[in-house]
Amino acid sequence: MDVWLTAARLAAAANAVVLLGLGAVWLRNYRRHGASHTLALLVFAAFLLLENLLWLYFYVLHPDFIAWFEFSDPDVQVGVTMLCTLELVALAFVARVTLR
Amino acid sequence: MEGVLWHLLASSRGGPTRVRILRALDDRPRNANELAERLDMDYTTIRHHLDVLLENNVVERSGDEYAAVYLCTDQVRANWDVVEEIFETVDGEGD
Repeated sequence: MDVWLTAARLAAAANAVVLLGLGAVWLRNYRRHGASHTLALLVFAAFLLLENLLWLYFYVLHPDFIAWFEFSDPDVQVGVTMLCTLELVALAFVARVTLR
Repeated sequence: MEGVLWHLLASSRGGPTRVRILRALDDRPRNANELAERLDMDYTTIRHHLDVLLENNVVERSGDEYAAVYLCTDQVRANWDVVEEIFETVDGEGD
């Protein structure tokens, strides 16, 4: 029952960690040379980080959302969990070409 | 290619090092040992960055594996204006 909510929380938290790592690289590079390509990626990371913090707020701190989630059908639970999980897969590919 | 070059040289963790390598290879083709010596960097670090540049068709290897010399690919030569622009943007970093 709680498995999907836990998975969603973990995925959103993992996204935030990956985005902080990517954002650190892009911020350091941007401060070094100010390339607009790097700035675009930095802004991209900032908004995705905000998005995931918002998800974490709903998943962890918002009683109405948690109640809605727990009373929803499994397809809704899986679907909502996939939003952050699929994003984690996408971010893993970006991290792979950025952190080396 | 343009986006790849910006990402590899300006927007990734190893960007500054790869800029230094590419500048040294623009000067003349060199092997990994010569690059390590010239840039005063660890041989394995140089090899790692050369592998990344190889995978992205930025440099190519000429000669046998052990003493291989690395040089810029035709594709990068065709986009050299972009490389120049990146070098100018990240200026002050390499040598």
